[in-house]
Amino acid sequence: MNMAEKIAGVWPEIALLLGAALCLLVGLARSVAIRRFTGWIAAASLLVAGWIVAAQVCNAGGVIGLTPYIKLAVVAVGLILLMVAAAVPVQLKMTRDIEAGREPFEPGLVIRGEFFAFFLFSLTGVMLTADASDLVWLFLALELTSLPTYVMVATSRDRVEAQESGVKYFFLGAMAAAVFLYGFALIYGATGQTSFSLIVDAANQQIAAQGRISPLLTTGIVLSLLGVAFKIAAVPMHFYAADVYQGATTAVTAFLAFVPKTAGFVALIALLGLLPDGYVPPAITWLLWIMAALTMTVGNVLGLMQSNVKRVLAYSSIAHSGYMLVGLLALHGSGDALGNGTAAILFYLVAYGLATIGAFAVLGSLQARGEEAETFDDISGLVRTHPVLAGVMLLSVLSLLGLPPMIGFLGKIYLFGSAIQHGFVGLVVIAVLNSAVSAVYYLRIASACFFGDSEGHTVSTPGISRPLAAGIAAVAALILGFAGGRLVSTARDAGGFPTGRNDVVTTPSQPPAATTASR
Amino acid sequence: MTDPLHSLTLAHYLFTGAVLFVLGVIGFISRRNLIIMFLCTEMMFQGVAVTLVAFSRYHQNDTGQTFVIFLLTIAAAEAALALGLVVLLFRRRRTLDAQAWGEMKG
Repeated sequence: MNMAEKIAGVWPEIALLLGAALCLLVGLARSVAIRRFTGWIAAASLLVAGWIVAAQVCNAGGVIGLTPYIKLAVVAVGLILLMVAAAVPVQLKMTRDIEAGREPFEPGLVIRGEFFAFFLFSLTGVMLTADASDLVWLFLALELTSLPTYVMVATSRDRVEAQESGVKYFFLGAMAAAVFLYGFALIYGATGQTSFSLIVDAANQQIAAQGRISPLLTTGIVLSLLGVAFKIAAVPMHFYAADVYQGATTAVTAFLAFVPKTAGFVALIALLGLLPDGYVPPAITWLLWIMAALTMTVGNVLGLMQSNVKRVLAYSSIAHSGYMLVGLLALHGSGDALGNGTAAILFYLVAYGLATIGAFAVLGSLQARGEEAETFDDISGLVRTHPVLAGVMLLSVLSLLGLPPMIGFLGKIYLFGSAIQHGFVGLVVIAVLNSAVSAVYYLRIASACFFGDSEGHTVSTPGISRPLAAGIAAVAALILGFAGGRLVSTARDAGGFPTGRNDVVTTPSQPPAATTASR
Repeated sequence: MTDPLHSLTLAHYLFTGAVLFVLGVIGFISRRNLIIMFLCTEMMFQGVAVTLVAFSRYHQNDTGQTFVIFLLTIAAAEAALALGLVVLLFRRRRTLDAQAWGEMKG
């Protein structure tokens, strides 16, 4: 691919970067009224980016490949996240005083413009990850996704926990980056190339010459997988998740639960795509098998023991990474309806993202004792004070649990179905048992909302954007659960296999794709 | 007698890179001072850089060295971020000891 085509492909990212630069500039304005525009600028640049992607898809004849699929998902979910995040900077207790000039300027506290700029930078990174066709590009895109999130965690909340968890997140992130970078170096060493297509060629030559790929290449891919596991919070790189998710403000937590994870899975799909067709070295199969089994078990078992809802959701997000790793094993799949792991992961990312963001947005919409709601006590008896939010929470946890009417159910069917078709029955049994275990803590959240005694100290956060975001996410999870056929077939196209045949789920009269439903 | 510099092979450079990387990992795990921990991640990055340059020389192409330039850029960005975060935390805590973070338990 030459330079001009490459640049033509990244117009959506350029739009987001311009939006981020504009946010930084406007964020410097003296007047509060002007600074308030930064959120709208971020929203506008997301919409422009989405429009550019849609135009590119139309030009390509309506075929949605992996890259546009991820970009559209990022735009759609990014808009919901932006609605959740819109209130973050205001929550800092001194921000208003500083903005009004009653307190001296404190850069750590006035973060409105920068916050939205970092938000957009990180989303740009995810989009660029989906564009990657070269190891250097992939590395830069992954770092662009992660570096802003470290700042967002550390500065989003005026509490020492947020700063500590931000520092912890940063240090582990830097170490993980070094690990996958060493993996990239070994891949380069084994093949002499950094471009994905040339690496695949070199690997094919090694297969032709020796019947296997070189141990150096296998080691490189293994190290890369381990390093990228940090981004998806998979075992052995999972232990930061609970602390960081708890320490960050709820809106940033929702961001962390979706954005770096999406980048991580796209990177994993790209890295496994470096292997020649139909050949996965046993070492990599076993690594993924063990990682998947451990990740979901650790996530679910530790999730049972938490008293803080944010920590429960953090462990739930670890467990969901485990489920998606199951799909990763079935990556080199046939085009069957249930056979393609890539498509299943792409679909599940959206399913998981909507449900998790819905749950976090509900937490962010509530306040207890001047802080965001976090514990089971805070949401106890929610149905009597905030019936709509309780309903949204119920829909979200049911979708995370994977009960039939919700989108999470479809997602799990596809993930586990693809793994069964590839013969990983044992792993699917573990995954189903894990889903059963997860019911305990998901239903604990739901029963706290519906059957607990309200202590009456929980009030809603001012502003409509968070409850609205929660509602949109939950309704999208419900509608797509009923009418997910279009999204499923889109995900399957994006997974790289033509959808020529009639499949079981698609019914032609149900049009809404992810983007239209969630806007 | 041959010049020892001419008998250096790829393996020597790879070994140097691996040693830097592993020392970085060990230091990162065993040290508790935030700045030392950050320097250890930098050492891991430099180990990767040595490896990349060695492979670049071995394969007779410049891709690896290009990679190193980007790597150094990111390492610089991370250093700026790390110092910012460490200063932020130091002002709250008055210590750089990672063990002092007792607020949250995994």
